[in-house]
Amino acid sequence: MASVHEMHVAGTDRDTADRAARAAIADVKRIEAKYSRYRDDSVTTAINRAAGARAVAIDAETASLLHYADRCHALADGRFDITSGVLRRAWDFKRRPPRLPSAGEIAAARDLIGWPRVDWSDERVFLPHAGMELDFGGIAKEYAADRAAAIVRDAGIAHALVNLGGDVRAIGPRADGSPWRVGIRDPRNAEGIVATMLVDDGAVATSGDYERYIEVDGRRYCHLLDPRTGMPVDHWRSASVAAPLAILAGSYATIAMLQGECAERFLAEQKVDALLVKADGSLRRIGHAASEQLVR
Amino acid sequence: MSKRRSARCSRSARGLAAACAAVALAGCALAPPKPWEKGDLARASMRFDTDPLQTKLTQHIYQSKEGAAGGDTVGGGGCGCN
Amino acid sequence: MAATDAAPPPRGDGAIRIGDRSAALVAAALALPGILPATALAQSAPDEGVVALRYYDYRDWQPGVDRMSVRSPSLYAFVPLTDSLTVEGSLVYDSVSGASPLYHDTVSGASGRGIGDYRSAGDAKVTKYFGDSSLAVGAAYSHEQDYISRAASLEWRTWSADRNRTYAIGFGAAKDRINAVEGVNAPVLDQPRETYDYLLGFTQVLDAESVVESSLTWSDGRGYFSDPYKLHDMRPDHRRILAWLTRYHRYFAASDATLQLGYRYLDDSFGDRSHMLEASWVQVLPHGFTLTPTIRYFTQSAAYFYRDPPFPQGFVPGQLYTADERLSAFGAVTLGLRLAKELPNRVTIDVAYNAYRQRGDWRLGGSGSPGLATFSARWIAFGIAKRF
Repeated sequence: MASVHEMHVAGTDRDTADRAARAAIADVKRIEAKYSRYRDDSVTTAINRAAGARAVAIDAETASLLHYADRCHALADGRFDITSGVLRRAWDFKRRPPRLPSAGEIAAARDLIGWPRVDWSDERVFLPHAGMELDFGGIAKEYAADRAAAIVRDAGIAHALVNLGGDVRAIGPRADGSPWRVGIRDPRNAEGIVATMLVDDGAVATSGDYERYIEVDGRRYCHLLDPRTGMPVDHWRSASVAAPLAILAGSYATIAMLQGECAERFLAEQKVDALLVKADGSLRRIGHAASEQLVR
Repeated sequence: MSKRRSARCSRSARGLAAACAAVALAGCALAPPKPWEKGDLARASMRFDTDPLQTKLTQHIYQSKEGAAGGDTVGGGGCGCN
Repeated sequence: MAATDAAPPPRGDGAIRIGDRSAALVAAALALPGILPATALAQSAPDEGVVALRYYDYRDWQPGVDRMSVRSPSLYAFVPLTDSLTVEGSLVYDSVSGASPLYHDTVSGASGRGIGDYRSAGDAKVTKYFGDSSLAVGAAYSHEQDYISRAASLEWRTWSADRNRTYAIGFGAAKDRINAVEGVNAPVLDQPRETYDYLLGFTQVLDAESVVESSLTWSDGRGYFSDPYKLHDMRPDHRRILAWLTRYHRYFAASDATLQLGYRYLDDSFGDRSHMLEASWVQVLPHGFTLTPTIRYFTQSAAYFYRDPPFPQGFVPGQLYTADERLSAFGAVTLGLRLAKELPNRVTIDVAYNAYRQRGDWRLGGSGSPGLATFSARWIAFGIAKRF
């Protein structure tokens, strides 16, 4: 979650906005700390350290997130898997010069993947083999965005926009009634926008091959790895999905990226609006076919 | 006296029938909202129990000044104002 | 598990499974804590506590003569103990001065000390939330100079999967003891009264901006119902009450205001029948103010053993009798105005003024009991509450 976060609040007085914003930010920080892979005192670290040894007790919030991850896994036919973070060990995106992993390295990492193998319940979770890991990175940030929006809404604010590292969640339209204008970043040009999505009380999330990647021999290998093969996906450059909740938008976007050519049918079946950028740079729109998409 | 009683009973029965009819009619919800559309329903002014103290105190006033009172809660305790 | 809208209808190809799994994902998202706005329908333990203090000053009078005034501080607290258990309680202390309303001032010997000089009351309620239902257990205690009441209640609520409809079943029992040593007819020593209440109710969300609640209450009381400080007052020892209360709230986004309507019909075995109609408009104003005007109209018929003045017209020794104007036929109107302000740190203060008037000729249809002087009252309330 080390990216830019911002919040717009409109149509209310300064005191209310400040109070609501501070409460929302405090909750975002709480979730970030609770599920961060990098912190010693996080729930994630506690679970991962106990892998292969013992079960770890979890609270209702963590159990709900595991339920959600479980449903994502089912909906994506296994392509979405929160135990697939171990592939990081095979794919080192920070290494310079970049290097592709060997088949053996990938196979070793894949041995430790498998959400169906995780022994979990509403009270505790147990990773059966040492080295297995849970990674909430794909859902915790969007969950935080939805909670921040709920906090701001409960404070009586009717017009707000929360953006946590690219996951956008709106409450109501802008103060003048017009929808918020969310730009979709051009996957190959950090300053450019390929399209605008109009948001009127809902969320927009984008998953793309440009967040983390390496280029070897002219080919891009991004951080979105299919747990069944251990290899990155390459059908789409990015997928931006609009849905009533940020967590749904984020999951649909990630699953769309992982599904490759089946993404369009998948998104149409979820009845969401989406904008996909193909590997050749062309755009595909799902849902509203207008040039500017209205999201509710 | 008994004629008055039976007249009152039939008025009671009609009242009860009207109440049940209204209840049944209200059962046809017009446009039940999705969970994420319920933001306005969460406002304090939309709740039925926002200010328990105010409700208790006004109910106590009305119960002590109006004979035909009550019927708002169960087991709230009696009033000494016979 | 929280609800979702219905899954897409099955289509006969492999899409059936996707539809179910898609709905299951949405349901799991909605079940995440803190995602949905706290609902108005009390279906999960609120995670916010409240402490509130209220003080009200009540005075009533009849033409030319001050009758009674009451000063009453009260305290309320609501505490969530766990994420499925809450406890709340309140304490009230009324200090009363002045005479009780005397509408028939030719009564000799009745100096009007009918009301105890104080009243203190407390109640507590514990509510436990399960997945799709809740159970609340409550107890109440009230103590006046000549009267003690102890009551307990049980309420069970359950709601539909989409949480748009709630059903409630309630039961209450109260045991009172009246000890009016200075009763004007005879000392009333240690007279008991037992009341059992039953409630059946439902709440329905009509659309995203409106909600309706309706409940039927049946009360069955046996024991001492007469007024010990009113000469010749003798009432039945059995009172059954049927009440039907319906309330409707609707939010208007264009004005940022809420309309609150209420109607209650009541019929009891004393012969009282009453209608009560109440309307409030909760208007949100800039800078955290909320202004709420209220109007209430109440009309009742007379108890069958009520006798019109002049006292003691109609009194026959050994027969039921009352000259208590509270059981006469009249209409009453309340006009109220409340102003509230939100302060920093989740504190709210408010002040309210209410004016009340009761007149025989305001009864619906105009045929109120004759010979009653207009009864008026006003109360001012101050309140402060903090959420935490």
